[in-house]
Amino acid sequence: MSRHSFIESTLRGFSRAFSNALASEHVANQPGLLQQFDPRVRVIGMLALVIAVVICRRLAVITALLLLAMVIAIASRVSLASLAKRVWLVVLGFTGIIALPALFTVPGKPIWSVPALSLTISAQGLRSCVLLVLRVETAVTLTTVLVLATPWMHILKALRSFHLPADAVTMLAMTHRYVFLLIETANQMFESRESRMVGVMSASAQRRVAARTAGLLLSKSVELSHEVYLAMLSRGFRGDVRLLTGFRMKFYDYAALSAFLFAGGAAAWMGR
Amino acid sequence: MHIPDGYLSPSTCVVLYALSASGWYSSLKRIKRLLATRAIPLISVFAAFAFVVMMFNVPLPGGTTGHAVGVTVAAIVLGPWGSILAISIALAIQALFFGDGGITTLGANCFNMAIVGSFVAYSVYRIIAAKSELSARRRVLAAAIAGYVSINASALVTAFEVGIQPTLFHDANGSPLYAPYPLHIAIPAMMIGHLTFAGLAEAAISAGMVSYLQRADPGLLRGGGETAERMPLAALTSGTQPSERRLWLTVALLMFLTPIGILAAGTAWGEWSSADLANPQARAQIASASHGQAPPVAIPSGIQKLSALWTAPFPGYAPFFIKRPEFGYLLSALFGVGLLLLASFAATSLGRTWRKRESRS
Amino acid sequence: MALVFEVENISFDYEHIPAIRALSVQIEQGQRVALLGANGSGKSTLLRILDGLYFPSAGSVSCCGEPLTREHLQQDGFALSFRRRVALVFQNPDVQLFNPTVFDEIAYGPLQMSWPKEEVLQRVNETLAFMNISHLRGRPPYRLSGGEKKQVALASVLVLNPDVLLLDEPTSALDPRSQSQVVDLIQQWKGTMKTVITATHQLDIIEDIADRVLVMETGTVIADGTPSRILGDADLLLRANLIHAHRHSHVGITHSHPHSHRHADQEHQR
Repeated sequence: MSRHSFIESTLRGFSRAFSNALASEHVANQPGLLQQFDPRVRVIGMLALVIAVVICRRLAVITALLLLAMVIAIASRVSLASLAKRVWLVVLGFTGIIALPALFTVPGKPIWSVPALSLTISAQGLRSCVLLVLRVETAVTLTTVLVLATPWMHILKALRSFHLPADAVTMLAMTHRYVFLLIETANQMFESRESRMVGVMSASAQRRVAARTAGLLLSKSVELSHEVYLAMLSRGFRGDVRLLTGFRMKFYDYAALSAFLFAGGAAAWMGR
Repeated sequence: MHIPDGYLSPSTCVVLYALSASGWYSSLKRIKRLLATRAIPLISVFAAFAFVVMMFNVPLPGGTTGHAVGVTVAAIVLGPWGSILAISIALAIQALFFGDGGITTLGANCFNMAIVGSFVAYSVYRIIAAKSELSARRRVLAAAIAGYVSINASALVTAFEVGIQPTLFHDANGSPLYAPYPLHIAIPAMMIGHLTFAGLAEAAISAGMVSYLQRADPGLLRGGGETAERMPLAALTSGTQPSERRLWLTVALLMFLTPIGILAAGTAWGEWSSADLANPQARAQIASASHGQAPPVAIPSGIQKLSALWTAPFPGYAPFFIKRPEFGYLLSALFGVGLLLLASFAATSLGRTWRKRESRS
Repeated sequence: MALVFEVENISFDYEHIPAIRALSVQIEQGQRVALLGANGSGKSTLLRILDGLYFPSAGSVSCCGEPLTREHLQQDGFALSFRRRVALVFQNPDVQLFNPTVFDEIAYGPLQMSWPKEEVLQRVNETLAFMNISHLRGRPPYRLSGGEKKQVALASVLVLNPDVLLLDEPTSALDPRSQSQVVDLIQQWKGTMKTVITATHQLDIIEDIADRVLVMETGTVIADGTPSRILGDADLLLRANLIHAHRHSHVGITHSHPHSHRHADQEHQR
């Protein structure tokens, strides 16, 4: 373990956030299936499929939805290799491990005993374990494909036209915008701290560094929010949020929306 | 503590979305009344701050690290309503734009971390800090305890939601359709990680930040008085009235039930170790649970050791009623419902005092 | 010439620390004024008072005959017309760019003015073209360089075609090329009816951007004159901390002369 590993791992997290944003910009700008639909269609359509995944109770239907998600991914220029690396393995390592003991803990018809350990796998345990992992894999695949194939400002614009409160949509947008600025600021703070640190730090000293950095970031954030407020006032903000929503649904948008909703509805019905 | 899509049944998701939505609605109304036009930039930038703090790796004793949620410091600086909004927005950004945390479970995650977390953190902090000086050590301690308790309260509510899934949602053969672990596994598995690591991370970062702000920017901790025009935060965290104090005390008392609830569930869990060992089913349960492989949500490594510690004191000695899993279920349910009732009660009573204050000024 | 701003004997405290004291000044329509002063001399605060964001604790400010008070700015009619006519470009573009994309940023002002949608779209596109930033329209702010941010910040206020422009350190922390672009833009307004007030501590751009210079020090105006007169007064500039005495010796003779800080401003920015 390196000396300032907590700083390094935090910095790695920051750069991952940036690279995710860039990756999504890259995919979103390619000509693909999802990319050509109106963002509202993409958001509603993929959400309908996620909801169908959660409603479905049959393994076969969820598997079919996973295959559908893969087809959409390929057609939208999202490579399965990157999905495997970014999504499937991560989910398997997390939910998979969480689900594993369920093989043994769920009471039911024994189907196989582990020799020597006197552990018994029940049919019900196996089914619930597979169900959970498959469900999470499919849902995460769908949301990842949506996020990758849609620039976040389009997701945002889609949210604007869903009659969510304008305040809420504005706050989401503004938060997203300042997340990047504050990540950059925190990055600089950590880097300058790290360059000044000599020798091995105790855990408590490291905690102090983390807390002080967070505290400084908080002061700066509140200051920033005040400045932003003044900048908004200066340009005529008086409390009402006004948004420009300029999407026009075309024929194939309606067709795609119907297809998504039909697929979701059919899956939910068949998977009852 | 983020519950991914697929762990909760659709009906659970809908209920928790509804609960969160009512929380968002009343918070937004209150915050807009208090801050008027300042609400949007303040809450937005604060949410961005919370998002970044959630990415901090906090080093913990024993060579591990944990992530803080930042809800405690949000509740201290913005008050519970602002904190609900800021943390919810940070969670929504994680889910919608970074694919982190589920979309169908966003309501649940916001309820657990933003709503429960904010109220618990705020009430614990206010009660312990009381009327102490802004620069008092007591406030640092109050922030640490508030952080520790609020994260554990959030974890308990999360464990409860996950733990009721197999009981309520299974198919005809008894296969759980969503999260497969019942309360007597979900609660201890979840709580061990939070009582040890995640709780400490939040406690450490909250205490450290309050201590930093005491020196560098005490205005942000000011609870009323002449907070400068630039920061209209005074209105949010203004001093508590005696009647409110009683209310917060009740909430706090309820929080003290948390460890009892955990203990009860934990004992039920420990019960298997003394249970009939000839039963392969029970053995399987012990094996999986005491090897700590069954956390419903991420738990830092190093729990195996602790789970042994946890099991040891109990086998078979606890009074019979505590051993029953239903008891843990009941306590958690009581805890959850009581928390909700008190939260809404607190909401209306606080709203009333604020209105009074406004009309006076 | 009509008066745009009339400032009479104002004071302003920032958390009990006086930032402006006993300041009086009148600014006429069409003037290009430079507020020259070191950091902390009160330039930014004065600009914010002129933009109706801060209100003086004593004294009075009026814009085109209308009082600039908190109460008056709460009236929708006056607030709308004032915000359209007077625009402030903040020193830190990250503060000013709070929208998700460049396009939304520039559309923000017109939307607040409740212009019809077609007009908003048209004005935004014209402004993007005028500033040569059409290629940036879909970009989020975190994908812009420092110079681009500054251009977008300028575009976001120019879209409303304001009569009065308040610029807070418009050239600070910019590379020389972006800096000269901004200076060129301000130069274009010479002889028009636009009033431009620029806060700066860069002496080398003064003659290009101003016909009148107000030198500020510790919250008040200590000199008011033409660029050539002000820039020729080394004692004054020394007093306002804009230059410092630079001592060195040539072959045995020690002498001192004023030394201006021409490009050393970047380090002073926070």
